[in-house]
Amino acid sequence: MDTKNLLLELGTEELPPKSLRTLAQSLHDSFVKSLKDLGLGFSSAKWYATPRRLALVIKDLDTKQKDAELEIRGPALKAAFDKDGNPTKAATGWAKANGISVSEAQTLKTPKGEWLYIKTLRKGRDTAALVPELFTNALKALPIPRLMHWGAKKEQFIRPVHTLCMLFGDEIIPGTILGIKSDRVINGHRFLGQKQISIKNADTYVQQLRDEGSVIADYDERKQSIISQVKAIADSVNGVADLDDALVEEVTSIVEAPHIFKATFEERFLQVPSEALVYTMKGDQKYFPIYSKDGKLLSTFAFASNINPSDPSSLISGNERVIRPRLSDAEFFFKTDRKHSLESFFPRLEHIVYQKDIGTLAYRTSIVEKLSAFIAGLTGADETKAVRAAHLSKCDLATTMVTEFTDTQGIIGMHYAELDGEDKDVAEAIFQSYQPRFAGDAVPTKPVQMAVSIAEKIITLVGIMGIGMLPRGDKDPFGLRRAAIGLIRVVLENRLELNIPEVVEKACALMADKFKKGSPAQAVVEFIFTRLKSYYQDQGIDAPIYLSVLSVKPVSLLDFDLRVKAVQAFKTDAAAADLAAAYKRISNILSKAGVSPEAVSDDLLKEPAEKSLVKALNAIEPKIKDFYDHGDYVKAMTSLSELRGDVDSFFDSVMVNDLDEAVRNNRLGILNRLKKLFGQTADISVLY
Amino acid sequence: MPNKYDLQTFQGLILTLQDYWMRHGCMVAEPFDMEVGAGTSHPMTFLRSLGPEPISCCYVQPSRRPTDGRYGENPNRLQHYYQFQVILKPSPDNIQDLYLGSLKELGFDPTVNDIRFVEDNWENPTLGAWGLGWEIWLNGMEISQFTYFQQVGGLECFPVTGELTYGLERLAMYMQKKETVYDLLWAHTANGDVTYGDIFHQNEVEQSTYNFEYANTDFLFYMFDQMEKEAKYLLTLDKPLPLPAYERILKAAHCFNLLDARHAISVTERQRYILRIRALSKTVAEEYYKSRETLGFPMCNKADAAK
Repeated sequence: MDTKNLLLELGTEELPPKSLRTLAQSLHDSFVKSLKDLGLGFSSAKWYATPRRLALVIKDLDTKQKDAELEIRGPALKAAFDKDGNPTKAATGWAKANGISVSEAQTLKTPKGEWLYIKTLRKGRDTAALVPELFTNALKALPIPRLMHWGAKKEQFIRPVHTLCMLFGDEIIPGTILGIKSDRVINGHRFLGQKQISIKNADTYVQQLRDEGSVIADYDERKQSIISQVKAIADSVNGVADLDDALVEEVTSIVEAPHIFKATFEERFLQVPSEALVYTMKGDQKYFPIYSKDGKLLSTFAFASNINPSDPSSLISGNERVIRPRLSDAEFFFKTDRKHSLESFFPRLEHIVYQKDIGTLAYRTSIVEKLSAFIAGLTGADETKAVRAAHLSKCDLATTMVTEFTDTQGIIGMHYAELDGEDKDVAEAIFQSYQPRFAGDAVPTKPVQMAVSIAEKIITLVGIMGIGMLPRGDKDPFGLRRAAIGLIRVVLENRLELNIPEVVEKACALMADKFKKGSPAQAVVEFIFTRLKSYYQDQGIDAPIYLSVLSVKPVSLLDFDLRVKAVQAFKTDAAAADLAAAYKRISNILSKAGVSPEAVSDDLLKEPAEKSLVKALNAIEPKIKDFYDHGDYVKAMTSLSELRGDVDSFFDSVMVNDLDEAVRNNRLGILNRLKKLFGQTADISVLY
Repeated sequence: MPNKYDLQTFQGLILTLQDYWMRHGCMVAEPFDMEVGAGTSHPMTFLRSLGPEPISCCYVQPSRRPTDGRYGENPNRLQHYYQFQVILKPSPDNIQDLYLGSLKELGFDPTVNDIRFVEDNWENPTLGAWGLGWEIWLNGMEISQFTYFQQVGGLECFPVTGELTYGLERLAMYMQKKETVYDLLWAHTANGDVTYGDIFHQNEVEQSTYNFEYANTDFLFYMFDQMEKEAKYLLTLDKPLPLPAYERILKAAHCFNLLDARHAISVTERQRYILRIRALSKTVAEEYYKSRETLGFPMCNKADAAK
């Protein structure tokens, strides 16, 4: 089979940087899929993307589709002919669609019945003839939130389109897509190199763009270049750059030729909390902050440019000019805020509505204070500090700094509290009350910090669920799922023993006058324990294990976790499946019998197997009880496997349904004891 | 060609831009004589972007944003400032190049200065308008907004208007290398050099004081309601009057902005006021479109004749 290399490039105005990679990847995926669907072979496919182009290079692509023998099944014979033997509409319609008459169709016989069918030869088409439609469809399938019009053209795309290049080998594939005719001439860099380049073929595409067009088409090459250039600048000041991947990706997507330069701002700005400076540097300006080895922000930063002038002085001084007023703003907010203590912002929370049915932030804070004290009492944290931290935790929302740089909430509160001379735990707890803010974020690890963080999350859940605003689909405006998962992480990662229903009840009592339809306590507890499912799924622990523990309704997340780990260990035991089956059988027998006697009398034991089982039970019960009482669920569960032999032989040789009622009840009593023993840690019957 | 105007003055900057766009087929319109928050509210943009009639136009628009006032104390923020607006409908294929040409005219060599189109989509809820486009960065500083209008007054825009908005003060500060807007040189005159501060500093101080401290909120609420009533009335006449109705909306919008500066509107109320203005903007857009349709979209015929 002949093959050639294929180049497809769409030249556009500047594409949205945050979705550039997704767009290119998606174009690649759907185009490759359509090639495969058509049976067109190739050796490799690679996407390219810059702010002004999306491209694909397919290597060694078949120049022609193979001829294919197709077997097409039609309607069943029963449905194909009426009682007089004339073809039905179903049959004629199908035949027509396949370009034959019903009499030309063959019959396909299978054990399941008979069908009309034909074998037909599909002539392979030339790849070049197929490509324009495939490319059009792949472009149509791009995930674009908002399409646009431009000029007076009827076409729509993400941004206006200027060039289309479809080359197969050295030949142009003719065609028009999005109103643009295919041509080998494409645009180079806006300002460097040649404005227009005539591409020879797919093999020279990347090199020609680089040499003649001053454009690096390869996304990952640009990204690596940015990373290494930024690192070099950080090294030159003995620092470490913040190479936040989202920022690097964004910068990669706004330059066609990345050149990184070093710039500085005035040292005096470093007295402002660095998070506020970094917020504007990264968020507004896409600059790379640099830190000293011990984590302090430096006044040197790195920025990307799309050009590389021999004299970069206006470039550098320009960028330094831009950041100055922004840092001045941050400095101004800092100085304005610092005329007062953090606590003096509290009265302003009286005027900020948290949620209209719940009340102001001041009200909410008063509830968090009380719950923090309650939790501190349970966990042995310093109550006074917890209350203080809770009291201050939302004050920064009224500062000018957080009003302007909303992402710095909590962080600014912490810094201001430190500057006010608040206790270190109190200051930290202000920030950590928000943690964990996202997957992978740190969780508080000290008692006061944990108490406030937990109270914060439970109040969110109780308050918002209490007024009936449950998350729907992907809409969770108050972050209830995040609050529940955050709560789970704080508790479990600190191995904290906490009775969740008790804490939730307390929170509900504090807010009782706000609820529209009674206390949400039960719903909140269920919501929290339901979130555990995804928490465990993320750890690769499957749903049956989670469900087996859920059905014994633990009240503490830690207890839940210990049981989950025990069931996990138990499941690896060779006897596990047998024991689970036995447990199911026991449950069935007991529920059929309708009675569950407690007592077992030695005098009524007849068969050797039941005697031996009871002996084993007598021996193991206190042992397991001891493990269980000490929370050693792993040993409690793995010890069960010691009973396997006795249980098996009991079922092999003993009839539970003895005619003598006393004997029967005695045997049911044995089973009842077994059931209790098995079901203590988890309901193992749901495991298989 | 050598520039006729002194780019080290504010007026030279304006004249250079007008000259450039005039040479590229634009009519130079004059500013609108009412308070608006941006050049987009000038009827030349808001209304003329509707319907099929073409337009190529540029103008300076004084813009008022009461909440941005800083009593003349902030080097960058003003409650009254100037935008230079260009609208081209349908947006030509080379609109980006035309824009870049204007920067060259201002003396910016793009091989020495990093000029970039950075995604920034635009939405104006009170005008029921949105578009896609960029802010343009000059060495990291935003100097212009570039938008392809997709919807205005709730109506689909076709053909599409390309809107370019230059922030004149920022651009001038960069070109004149000034750290504060008040040091900008406006002109060399017979009476000596006149700075931006000479003309506007007192205005910023007094207007900020009025906007934040003395604007009578009862009166402003009343005026908002009256303007809304009047606009509704004009739009429900047998022969509606969309142009005067539009001006009433601009008045109402300015009252709203002043009330906002006085913190007289709560967060939830704020949304309701925006929706009230938006509803009127939509009706005006529809009525204006109908009136042009009744006239047979006269500007289309002229454009055809010019070809």
